[in-house]
Amino acid sequence: MNENASGLKSQVQPIVVVDSISKSFTHNVKVLDNVSTRVTKGDVLVIIGPSGSGKSTFLRCLNGLEDIDQGTILIDGIPLDDHEKNRLKIRREVGMVFQSFHLFPHMTVLENVNLAQKLVRKKSKIEATQLSKDLLQKVGVDDKAAVYPNELSGGQQQRVAIARALALMPKIMLFDEATSALDPEMIGEVLDVIRDLANDGMTMVVVTHEMGFAREVSDRVLFMEHGCVIEEAPTERFFQQPAQERTRAFLRKIL
Amino acid sequence: MHKRVFYTPLDFILISLLLAAAGYVFYRIAFHLDYSWNWHVIPQYLFRYDVERGRWVSNYLIDGLVTTIRLSLWAGILALVLGFFFAVMRLSSSLFLRLFARCYIELMRNLPPVVIIFLFYFFLADQFLPLLHLEQVVSRLPPPLQRIEEFLFGDPAILSPFVSAMITLAAFESAYVAEIFRAGIESVENHQREAAYALGLKNHQTMRHIILPQALIRVLPPLSGQLISLIKDSAIVSVISIQELTYQGTQLMASTYMTIEVWTTIALLYLLLTFPCSVMVSYLESRFARS
Ligand SMILES: Nc1ncnc2c1ncn2[C@@H]1O[C@H](COP(=O)(O)OP(=O)(O)O)[C@@H](O)[C@H]1O
Ligand SMILES: [Mg+2]
Repeated sequence: MNENASGLKSQVQPIVVVDSISKSFTHNVKVLDNVSTRVTKGDVLVIIGPSGSGKSTFLRCLNGLEDIDQGTILIDGIPLDDHEKNRLKIRREVGMVFQSFHLFPHMTVLENVNLAQKLVRKKSKIEATQLSKDLLQKVGVDDKAAVYPNELSGGQQQRVAIARALALMPKIMLFDEATSALDPEMIGEVLDVIRDLANDGMTMVVVTHEMGFAREVSDRVLFMEHGCVIEEAPTERFFQQPAQERTRAFLRKIL
Repeated sequence: MHKRVFYTPLDFILISLLLAAAGYVFYRIAFHLDYSWNWHVIPQYLFRYDVERGRWVSNYLIDGLVTTIRLSLWAGILALVLGFFFAVMRLSSSLFLRLFARCYIELMRNLPPVVIIFLFYFFLADQFLPLLHLEQVVSRLPPPLQRIEEFLFGDPAILSPFVSAMITLAAFESAYVAEIFRAGIESVENHQREAAYALGLKNHQTMRHIILPQALIRVLPPLSGQLISLIKDSAIVSVISIQELTYQGTQLMASTYMTIEVWTTIALLYLLLTFPCSVMVSYLESRFARS
């Protein structure tokens, strides 16, 4: 099924395979319309598009937060279908970072990062804490381990949210406008963390409005409008020679 | 932020008028009311001196107060447990459980409590509990356990009626408790569930570690309010001759005819129970309003 997958790394099996998925919330308005894409292991796919074009919905379909009406999704070879077992496996392989962080307010930073390790990976508290401390150090908030989320700045909260997702050792990370809810001076510190992850070879699907950042970290870019994929291309080609007029119009507006 | 308290001239006029009115009413009561005051007999119904044992013991009213405390405490705990389970059922994915809990809650909230009391009590006390032979079970317990039983549940001879009253009270309070829990659980933002889902937690783990801890903190003030209601509502079981505070009041009134003294005393005794709880609720509310 993979023979016509184009690109440099066609010999590598893609870890995310999305085939012709469609979704509507209410009748006849398709939020996602026949969307297909593939992500190769270690690649970063950036999704751009005007607000309301279905980017978040697409991302939420990838870990089953939203159900699709048609099409198939395959994550690391596991089909995202009605089988609870498959969904659970996929949820545990896919980390997600939300626009507004969604930390657990009744737990300290450390407990937020420990939680899934203990409940999902069945680690002891000591083991979990060890990894959590490492991750918090990696995202630069290790001094806030004992603090509750509401005492942190937005940038710090988002970095904790990233650490919390990483604590499950996911194979894929999804970022939904991770910096859109932040004050301008905090955007950089979060982008730095995501950039480091990309350099470490994490497979990622990133929705963002930060075009400079998108261009810098991504291997491929996908442009969406009204739930349709207008264009998908390797990053350099996407920005330098976009094939579609609508892509050019969008890039003119935003750059 | 505290609201600054200050008085305007209008407040002074209103307060003076109120005081004058109160003074006038008091004057009429004190000097023109056709009622002979007998306040001095009330204390002996609180405590009396037991000549045989040579010490002070509680009398009708304090006994009633203690029964009210016992009843409210146990019924309260039972109502919390039942209410919690009904709330979880109400939100369950099983249609049967949802319908069952819904029916129960609606039934309890749409019937007059007195009717529920009569229905439940006569079923429980006359039909069901006698099958358990509670009194016999207690009488066979070793003496230390019997004393503990008496301390916790009162006179073993009337354990069955007490337990029936407790279950009955809990049965209908649990409907209100369930609605409070349900509202609390539903008030936890959906994105908390989504974050837990994305982290690979199972439904029951999300419930236990994410939803409930946040919901419980939010329902603490309304829940304490409901428990105060329960203390007040416990007066209803006087209709089935449970010797709690209100029942003792009716008995005492029947034998002494000191209507106003008795009921004023009883009102004060209820306030003694409920007022500290109210203060605690306001404190909780202000604390959680801040965080
Ligand atoms: N839960 C929902 N119920 C109904 N409509 C929704 C829901 N979520 C998103 N939509 C609609 O789907 C469309 C795409 O939304 P979204 O995926 O959030 O777009 P984007 O992230 O690109 O801004 C929008 O028109 C939005 O109103
Ligand atoms: Mg969005």
